Amino acid sequence: MPEQTVLMPSGVRRGRMSHALVQNVGLVLVISLLSACIIGYCVIYYIAQHRFPGGFELTSTLDNTMPLAFAALAQTFVVLTRGIDLSVGGVIDLTNAVAAQTLNGPPLQTALWTVAILLIGGACGLVNGVLVAVGRLQPILVTLATLSIFQGIAIRVLPQPGGAIPPGFTSVLANPNYPTSLLYIPLIGIIWAIFRRTRLGVSVYAVGNDATAASSHGISVKRTVILAYTLGGVASAMAGLFLAANATAGDATTGDTYTLTSIVAAVLGGVSLFGGRGSGLGALFGAFVTVMVVNILFFSHIDPLYQTFYEGLFLLAAVVSANMIGSFVRRRR
Amino acid sequence: MIGKLLTRDRRRILYAFIAGIVLFAIGQAVRPGFASFDGIRSILVVASFVGLVAAGQTFVILIGGIDLSVPWVLNAGAILMVTSSLGSDARAIPALALTLGMGALVGALNGAGIALLGIPAVVMTLAMNGIMQGLTLGLSGGMTCTNCGAYAPPIVQAAVHSRFLGLPIVLWLWLGIIIIVSFVLGATRFGRSTYTVGNNARASHLAGINVSVVTIVLYALSGLFAALAGIMLVGFGGQAALGMGEPYLFQSIAAVVIGGVYILGGRGHYLGSVAGAISLTVLVSVLLAFNMPDYGRSIIYGVVILALLLLYGREEDSA
Repeated sequence: MPEQTVLMPSGVRRGRMSHALVQNVGLVLVISLLSACIIGYCVIYYIAQHRFPGGFELTSTLDNTMPLAFAALAQTFVVLTRGIDLSVGGVIDLTNAVAAQTLNGPPLQTALWTVAILLIGGACGLVNGVLVAVGRLQPILVTLATLSIFQGIAIRVLPQPGGAIPPGFTSVLANPNYPTSLLYIPLIGIIWAIFRRTRLGVSVYAVGNDATAASSHGISVKRTVILAYTLGGVASAMAGLFLAANATAGDATTGDTYTLTSIVAAVLGGVSLFGGRGSGLGALFGAFVTVMVVNILFFSHIDPLYQTFYEGLFLLAAVVSANMIGSFVRRRR
Repeated sequence: MIGKLLTRDRRRILYAFIAGIVLFAIGQAVRPGFASFDGIRSILVVASFVGLVAAGQTFVILIGGIDLSVPWVLNAGAILMVTSSLGSDARAIPALALTLGMGALVGALNGAGIALLGIPAVVMTLAMNGIMQGLTLGLSGGMTCTNCGAYAPPIVQAAVHSRFLGLPIVLWLWLGIIIIVSFVLGATRFGRSTYTVGNNARASHLAGINVSVVTIVLYALSGLFAALAGIMLVGFGGQAALGMGEPYLFQSIAAVVIGGVYILGGRGHYLGSVAGAISLTVLVSVLLAFNMPDYGRSIIYGVVILALLLLYGREEDSA
């Protein structure tokens, strides 16, 4: 961005500015991508429906995206440490199942169980983190195995889809009448900004970039990895809760697809699978892009059987162009 | 002497085989006849499908890659086989060639995306899985084709069910593939290149190995083996079904890893993946013999994989 660099008075500032651009090129790209998707969606919606999308469309898009947004956030915590979490879908299954069995009671009980469900998610993440960090096992294998375990427990908790989510709970997390979920976007942004500035946040990036160097700077790699997986588990539990609120019932297999889509959303959001690069905010936008692409395909009157074909092509096109733009920007620096 | 013969990699293969034998013994104790010749034979047939997919998965994991497109390449192969052969023996050979060619082509595209465009293997093969799923569902119209004789040709069914010297032909085929793959990896220039690329792609490039070509060929082989597994599965069941490939993704990766192939590449043998495929299949059968409900099987499956990993899958150097 030459305009920005020209405006900067001193050489140091210019360096910082372009450094910030290089660091956040993924974020800039995903925001551009999301803008393009929103414009494309409005155009196609207008052609199909002869009016622009309104409050209902906004609300349903937001409510549909929030579970994926938290799943992508969960994936980001782990991927930043140069790991990968295939158990995201299993934790969502489990927390969703527990939610369906427990939330339908008096408000206080619902509130307590909500906290308990977040703790369950954290415990799942803790198990992953301990196995990876202390057990010295590869993340992809650990989470592959725990995925199977969490899925099994989820089916034990809720053998058939069902249960009931109280309307009050739904109206807080996934209000079908008003786009209240809009509030969660800045909330995630604030949480991420705080996390990024904590000791843990700095450690997570350091470990993802170079675990040996981080260790020699006094960062406990094991502790960092364990906490990152634990936070990921809590975020997955949030996804499970939002999913339950949106569906107003539970299903012990509903989370399965989120393992892979959370990776897609994180990658679209500029989170590098090689660790240390990307942000939770990017993953949040990546989740919105993923959902918007599905919306666009829906209103394009594409045979739904071909849906995954176009999603696959879109993912490849997005990653290839992001790679090209990213390396271009880095070279210009 | 024994210490020298039993290198770490060989020890892991041995462990995986021992795990399989122990599981057979447990099965025999729970249900007499479990480890009879018939019992072992039918478990090996089921294991061969995982083993075929695991052959391709071994190739790509040896260079630090992964193939997540296995489920729908397998599924596309199965459907292409039945729809192009129309269940007739006369068309079986061209249909086989077409199906295997499709698998190899899709795999080569994976390899090209990874090697030439620099797309991470996880993303490339994940996207390819979606692309193949969409194409398969779209072109087959969701398998609504009821009058096109969507059955595998009798000779393909015979390849799985009829026997030669007491063993189903598919097991002989698997044995042949085990020998060929082990030979290719262990005793050819290409095999050495594979391990070299897996250990250090940059150094391999500097040493004059064409890393891109090796990568593309390995992913093409993975696609080929997935398609072959699809063909064998329609031979086994007679018909293709949508979603039939899904279980083979995690099973193939688990088999490769249990067999001691290092997930970051450069180390391991196909024989290990074979042992892993057999152990996993026996494990599932044992759990079925216990009349274990679905959820229990899922939990124990994960716990056993973790236990095996903790036993011998740990990293040497902790950061």
